[in-house]
Parts: sequence; C-alpha cells; structure tokens
Amino acid sequence: MSKGVVRWTTQILTLMGVLLAIAGFSLCIGSGSIPIQKVIHAIFNGPRNTEYSILFDIRLPRIILGMAIGGALSLAGVILQGLFRNPLVEPYTMGISGGAALGVSLAIILRLYQSIGLITLPLAGFLGAILVIALIYTINIRRKTLKIQGLLLTGVMISFISSSFIMLIMAVSRAEDLHGIIFWIMGSLEEPSWFLIKLALFASLTGLALSYIFWKDLNALRLGEEEAAHLGINTERAKRALFVLASLLTGCAVSVGGIIGFVGLIVPHLMRMFIGSDHRILLAGSFLGGASFLIFCDTLARIIVAPSELPVGVITGILGGSFFIYALTKKGKTIA
Amino acid sequence: MLEIKGLTCGYDKRFHLKGVDIAIEEGSFFGIIGPNGSGKTTLLRAITRILKPERGEIFLRGKNIWSIDFRELARIVAVVSQSVSTDDLNVGEFVLLSRIPHYRGLQFLETKHDEEIADNAMALTDTFKFKDRSMSEISGGERQLVLIARALAQEPKFLLLDEPTSHLDITHQVRILDLLRKLNRELSLTVIIVLHDLNLASEYCDRVALLSDGMIYKEGLPQDVLDYKTIEDVYKTVVVVEKNPFSLKPYILLISEKERLKVRKK
Amino acid sequence: MQEKRLLLSILFAVVTLWCGFVDNVYASQASSKRVVSLAPSLTEGLYLLGAEDGLVGDTTYCVTPDAAKYKEKIGTITNIDLERIVTLKPDIVLATSLTNPKTVQKLKDLGIEVKIFPAPKDFISLCDQFIELGKAVEKVTKAKEIVAVAREKVAGIQARTAGLFKPKVFIQIGSKPLFTANKSYVVSDFVELAGGINIAKDAKVGTYSREDVVRKNADVIIIVTMGIAAEKEKESWQRLRALNAVRNNKIYILDSRKVCGPTPVTFVETLDKVASLLHPELLEDRK
Repeated sequence: MSKGVVRWTTQILTLMGVLLAIAGFSLCIGSGSIPIQKVIHAIFNGPRNTEYSILFDIRLPRIILGMAIGGALSLAGVILQGLFRNPLVEPYTMGISGGAALGVSLAIILRLYQSIGLITLPLAGFLGAILVIALIYTINIRRKTLKIQGLLLTGVMISFISSSFIMLIMAVSRAEDLHGIIFWIMGSLEEPSWFLIKLALFASLTGLALSYIFWKDLNALRLGEEEAAHLGINTERAKRALFVLASLLTGCAVSVGGIIGFVGLIVPHLMRMFIGSDHRILLAGSFLGGASFLIFCDTLARIIVAPSELPVGVITGILGGSFFIYALTKKGKTIA
Repeated sequence: MLEIKGLTCGYDKRFHLKGVDIAIEEGSFFGIIGPNGSGKTTLLRAITRILKPERGEIFLRGKNIWSIDFRELARIVAVVSQSVSTDDLNVGEFVLLSRIPHYRGLQFLETKHDEEIADNAMALTDTFKFKDRSMSEISGGERQLVLIARALAQEPKFLLLDEPTSHLDITHQVRILDLLRKLNRELSLTVIIVLHDLNLASEYCDRVALLSDGMIYKEGLPQDVLDYKTIEDVYKTVVVVEKNPFSLKPYILLISEKERLKVRKK
Repeated sequence: MQEKRLLLSILFAVVTLWCGFVDNVYASQASSKRVVSLAPSLTEGLYLLGAEDGLVGDTTYCVTPDAAKYKEKIGTITNIDLERIVTLKPDIVLATSLTNPKTVQKLKDLGIEVKIFPAPKDFISLCDQFIELGKAVEKVTKAKEIVAVAREKVAGIQARTAGLFKPKVFIQIGSKPLFTANKSYVVSDFVELAGGINIAKDAKVGTYSREDVVRKNADVIIIVTMGIAAEKEKESWQRLRALNAVRNNKIYILDSRKVCGPTPVTFVETLDKVASLLHPELLEDRK
C-alpha cells in the first residue's frame, strides 16, 4: 500500500510542478517579450507598468482559463472513456459542443448580443449544451435503464445535425455575424470577463471534486457494467451521474472557450500510459495534465506566427495527435 | 438459504424461465445443469440481479434480494462470470477491485487488511505468482483461477459460477473443481455452479437441478437426477449411465452414431 | 543691449506659443495622439488627414499608401496581437465591426480608448464616419474639407448621369456562394450613384441566385475580386448567352481593395470609373 501511495503522491506532485513550470513559461513568453528580471520587477511595481499590464491583464487570464478549460475537458474525457470503455470517445463526440455552437450562432444572428452584452454568448452556449444533454439523455432512457451505446450514437447524430443548422445560419447571415460565429467556433482562451474566468475555474474544480465521489464506480466499470454490478456498484445511478457530470463540464468549457478539440481525447490516454488506469490518480492526473497541455498549446498558438494568432484547436490537434502516435509506438502498448 | 419461488423471467417478452422453484441450503455445493438454451445462465442472472423477474421472487437469507442494498449484496454474493474484459489491468490490481464492496465510507486507499485478503485469495488459487503480470498475458486456465481469486477476495458467503470450466483442459477442470470443493468444505462457502459437463456435476455437486426449456425438470442428488432415461428425455441423446468405480457417483457415457447403429442391429 | 535681448526673447517665446496654439491644418504637424489602426481603409484615411505621424501600428493588410507598409504590424484585420498593441501605448485604437468583440472589450478593460467604425452602409455614412475619424485624431477641419470635396464630385457625377438610361447592374463580391451587395452595404452606392440600378438593392441577404440575375436580365455585371478568380467567374457568366450583359459584352472586373474599403477619396475615384463603365457615352462626350 505504501508503495502505491508514494508513487501516486510523487506523480501528482510532478504533474503540479509541470503545470507551474508551463504556466510560468507561458507568463514569460509572448510577442511583447519580457525577460525574467522584468517580470519580477513588474510584479513588485504594480499596475502602472505596461509590462505589468501585459502579464496580468493579458497573459494571466489566459493561463487561468487554460487551466480551467484544459482541466475540465480532460476530466470529462476520462469520465466518458470510463463510461463507454471506448478509446475514441471524447467530450466533443457527444454532440454537446454542437448544441453549444448552435446556441451561440442563434444568439448572434438574433442580435441578442446587443441587449444582454458579453455574457450572452457563453450563456447561449451553455443553454444550447444543456438542451442537447437533456435531449440525448431522454432519448436513451429505456425502461429506467440508461443505454450507454445509444448515448454515443445519439450524440454523434446530434453533432451532425447541429453542424448543418450552423451552416444554414452562416449561409444567411451578414458578414459581421458570420465573423462572430466563426470566431467563436474557432476556439480561443481570450476572454475579457474575469467573472467568466473565475466561474469557469470554479465549475472546473467543483467538477473535479465531484468526480472523486465516483472513483470506485469508475474503477469497477473498467470491467464492464455487469461485473461492476457484481462488485456492488449501483450502475444506473453511476451512469446517470457521470454522464451528467461529464456533459456539464463540457458545456462549461465549450461555452467559454469555444470548440477546442482533442484535449479530452488525448490527455486521458497519455495519462493512462504514464500513470495507469486507476481512477484515484487518473482523475486528478488528467485534470493537471489537461491544464498543462492546453496552456502549452495556447502559448505556442500565440507565438508561432506572431503578430497573428493561430486558433488553439489547431495546435492541440497537431501537437496532441503527433505526440500521441509517438508515445504509442514507443511504449508498444495498445489501448483497450 | 437461497430460495427461488415461481421465478419467471427472460429477455424482451420471451421467457427463458417459467415458474422455477429451487431452495439451496447454505453450505451446499449446488449444480445447475441442462442443455444449451435451457435457461441456466438466465437463472444465474436472475439471482445476481442482472435480470429483473417478471413474476416470482428470490429470497436470500429470508430477505427479497431486490430489497438488499447493492454493496451489502456484494459482500455476501460473489460471481465468477464466463468472460470478463480487463483491458490493461494486472492480476494484483484486478483482484484488489473485489475489495470495493468492503470499503468503509470515505476510505480511499486499500488497507493492509484488504491487501492481505487479496494475497490470500491468490495464494489459495495458486495465482500469487502472477500478481504483477498483465491479465492479457496469462493462459485461459490461469485466468479462470484469477477470476475465482477475485471472487474469493470479496469474502462472500455464496459463490456463483457460470461455466467456469467449459473451455479448459482436464487439468484445470479438476484443479478448479477440487479447489471449489475444498473452499466449500473448509470455509462453508455455498457454491452454486452452472456446469455443462454432467460428469463434473455428478462428481462434485451435493445436489443438482436439471433445467429443460426454462423449467426444472428434476432436482435432487446426482444419482437420483442423472439416470439415462432423464438424460435422454432432456438432452435428446442416447447415453449409458455407469457408476464411477471410485466415488460411486453416476458416470455418463456417450454413444456415438456408429455404436448406436451397432446396438440397434443386435 | 540687455533690454533688446530680453525683448527679443519674449517676442520669440510669444510667437512660439502662438504658433503652438493655432490649429495648423496644412502643416504636417505630428498629431499628439498615438493611434493604432485595425483596417486598411482607416489607415488610408489617416494618411489623407495628414495624421500619419501619430499612426504607431497597423495591420499586415495596410499597404496603401506605400509608407503604411513600414509601420509596426499588430496583426490582421480579424486577428489582433494584444501584447503588441499594449507595448505601443496607443491613445486610441480604431477598430471595425470585423474586429473580435472580445478583443475590443479587452482593450477597453486595459484602459485604451477604442472607436469602432462599422462597415459603412452608403456614401452618406461613409462621409459621416470619415468626419468621426477626423474627430478621433483631432483633424476635423481637414476631414470636413475632404468630405466636402468628395460630396461635390459625387454630385457632379450624379448630375452628368441624370438623364441617361439606367442600366441594370449586378455586383458580384463572392463566388461560392454567389454574393452581392444589397442597399445596406456601401458598394451598392457605386452603382446607384453612378446612374445605374443595383438589381440586388432590396435583397434581404447577401447570397443571391444566378437564376435571379438571368430573370432580371442584368445589363452589366461588375465582378469585384475578393479572393475569387475573377477571370474564371467571367467565363462562367459568359456561358449564359441570353443574358444582356453577356450579349453586349459588359462584364467588368474591379480590384477589391479599392472597392471594399473605400475612403471618400477612393470612393469618388471608383465611382467615376463605374460611371464611365455604365455610360460609355460620357467618355465620348469628353473626347
């Protein structure tokens, strides 16, 4: 037992260290580059400084949001992969992002933006996500049992349908609206509202805490629903709660950050390769890993073609996917 | 005592079990036999609450099993299924999973006690040496033993097994059943086992229930249930029943077509 | 001697101070405000107003006039680098409706003034916006002058084309899907004020069907290149033999940079060009 605990503690501390290092690296890097001495100088000199402004008003919010969204998406990915026991499941195959994007597109063309302000879009996105979650859930509850495979299929179908609707909206929209929709869909960690950033962080951390209630269920579900039931797990309750939790985490992430793919798919797999599949370590491990990964990708997105900025989803896809293939061949293991 | 009364259940309106009544004493070694499709696995699933009965009830120690809390049931009943997917678990981790029903409240880590129980279970099944190996690396027979180890680590009073030996060689068949009998005798573990091999059932079980078309055809001691007429009626196959020279239990001999024709000619 | 020197010094000081107070419109005096422009049309406008000295940053698309190329680049029209802008310490940022609203909000939160210039609906709003631009960089008088000149010239073109036959015109801005300018987009005025009829004037949205162009039998087609292969488009129109524009060989191509981001000055230039395309007889008159 002590061997396992020591190993886990080391792993978590290492991951936290990595997160801090990457966050620090991200804080110091940008197109308005600020050498380390100036960083410390700026911290002590306070808000009057341009450097301070860049560090704390531009870069820091992105880092914090990156942590919240990266963590939330990876956590949702772990939960969903545990529920479905399908390695290709990630938060976005569930159709939730489609619903969020549809909500946002509608809010943009219906000009709701003007009346309510910048909170409108994340709110519309979240509502869209909730509606899709409710829809998927109700369709797949049969005789008080939640059919897991049905959830996946329904989610994929809803994804396709939402995309079509969004394209319809884009076809009839005006140029500015079109831009608005595309901006949002491309996914970005740039968010002016501190309120939303704090909210996202809070939601994300709460999700992490709640997921630990189900560590036993997730560990048991690795053997399949029947076996888990034999081990005394209330599988119905577990399935529903976990599905809703993962969906809400995704909904929050998507409504604030737009569509940032691959994080929820790749990070859990990478974490499994390095720290194993026991959910007691995997939940927190994926959260930290996802946070680090997204912050890192965002930093790259900011500096590669400065002064322009690449959409962070491009980096997560290319970097994540390539690294994953590399790690897979190196370890010689196959994913379940 | 496990009592099944008037059990009718199945899948999607088709009932594989119709009005089944069985009473299994605690501490006995009970076999469930019958041809393919007679409802053996369905019966097991009904007992383990995977299937909800359409009609009838099942009582465990006097309580309706559907009213027993999930975790409590898992502490009394352990199931060894035919096949379990185990992705990339290693043997030690897999066996430890069985301690989940015993975790108290907010317990997060395995206690020394948990680890000891798991190690004991593996020792009993002679699988301790595989503790650090991956589940996908061990042979079929060894895997079955590990599944049993896992069930044992649950510290159950009832052990349910679904055809644990159907794809194993005779070495492992005997090994596993010997182990089960030992556990039954020494730990008073009630063993309820679905078997397809009539001879194994005859040799090891205290009592057997023969299922046919979703109903109990006959139930009782092996020598009473396994006579050639009964077997021919249920299995629709000609057999000869002899006595095992050592245990004096019924021993079923198959007659191939060639021999049957010879007999007919006589 | 000492008194003379004193008198001279005072006189010198007074004159300098007085010069400082005059709003010297014609001298290329550096504007006191540091400006970042997020659109080529705004950059051009600043040069017209003589405010280019205050321009500290513009987009990678701001290439006219030539000098604008050498200004510090802070991103594209849609993709802005906040850190660069902040480092430049601007007093005001001139944005468009194509700028990401989140970026706008962020700049405001950082205490930087942002003025948004939405895409002008027509020539009148184009002029009003130009005056707003002038106000933003303290060059109002010059702005009003330029606008007045432009208005006069436009009125002149309208007068010249007043009695002439009004051809039906289709303006193509995009190809897949076919995109045009309805009356809420300034490009429509290029046709309407040049004595023509924009057949898509009252369209609800920008996407248009080729069938409708044929049904309305456009007399002239103007293709504005905006990332589409204009020659290819011309060829595909030419396959519609029954179309008036094809029969009379009146399919013209205009460069998008001038057309889509006009200043009052470039508007007039383009309007003139369009007028001569729609009414070739005007050219004859001039000869």
